[in-house]
Amino acid sequence: MKSELMTRFEDELRNALRRQQPPQGFADRVLARAAEIGSRQLNRAWRDLWLKIFDQPLVPANLLRWATVTVVAVALVAGGVYYRSVQRERAQGEAAKQRLLLALRIAGSKLQLAKTRVDQINSGQVNSDKLHSDPTANQQKRE
Amino acid sequence: MAEPVSAGPAADVVAGDFAEIVRRHQSMVFSIALHFLADPSAAEELAQDVFMQLHAKLSTLKSPEHIVFWLRKVTSHRCIDRMRRHRMPQVSLEDLPESSVLEFSPGVQPADPFLARRLQQLVASLPGKARLLVILRYQEDLSAEDIAEILDMPAATVKSHLQRALAMLHDKVVRTMGEVGSGK
Repeated sequence: MKSELMTRFEDELRNALRRQQPPQGFADRVLARAAEIGSRQLNRAWRDLWLKIFDQPLVPANLLRWATVTVVAVALVAGGVYYRSVQRERAQGEAAKQRLLLALRIAGSKLQLAKTRVDQINSGQVNSDKLHSDPTANQQKRE
Repeated sequence: MAEPVSAGPAADVVAGDFAEIVRRHQSMVFSIALHFLADPSAAEELAQDVFMQLHAKLSTLKSPEHIVFWLRKVTSHRCIDRMRRHRMPQVSLEDLPESSVLEFSPGVQPADPFLARRLQQLVASLPGKARLLVILRYQEDLSAEDIAEILDMPAATVKSHLQRALAMLHDKVVRTMGEVGSGK
């Protein structure tokens, strides 16, 4: 059981250790520091967000690697197919050109032949006309 | 003296006004630091740091009671840390400078200011842990179990240390001033 003196001593101790008010403006200084830290944290959060957006790939690295390989492979195959089709078209064009030239040559020679025949016919017709128009010539011819 | 805490919903306090929490608990935090360090400017610095830590942790604290408990715990541990970091020497009562005598705030003037100042000096001359136990017991009016929870110590150890610290203090008072309440 506590003695009366000890109880009184404890009361004096309570008195001595009563709460004290902090210096004037303490709360304002704390709030100012908190506001400063808050704005710094906000700035850091924005900076981190931007860094995250620009620094980190939007797709995982593994997926990006496979996507690159696929794109390159598809591009190679498509390029090969396109090259083959261009080559084929060019060959077909060349063959068509050759056929056309041949056809033109044939048509040209046929026309030449026809012209020759026409000329021949025309020259034969002229001679017969001459015979009809000159009786002596016709008679001589008959004789 | 135990801090009166509002019984409002926890979310209001947690999400609410940090400024209100600072204003409500500033004297508690500052006084623990002041009575431990016996240096008003160091006590203010430590109290500010405690509130900055609270600002960062506020969203994790669940209730007003939790905030008060947390503030007492963090302030106590920071006091001990500061003592270890700055290697505050164990000073005898006679070696305590006159500047370590604390000024009382207006309105909290004790009945016997001389005795109160002497007691503050005596408390400041105690070893760190014992000093903290006395401050939490007589400033904050906490039970041994509450102090044990704050300092992560067994309640029985708190009780025995507290009794020893009190006997030491009483002995010093008697030796330097005569018996308290004896009318001398």
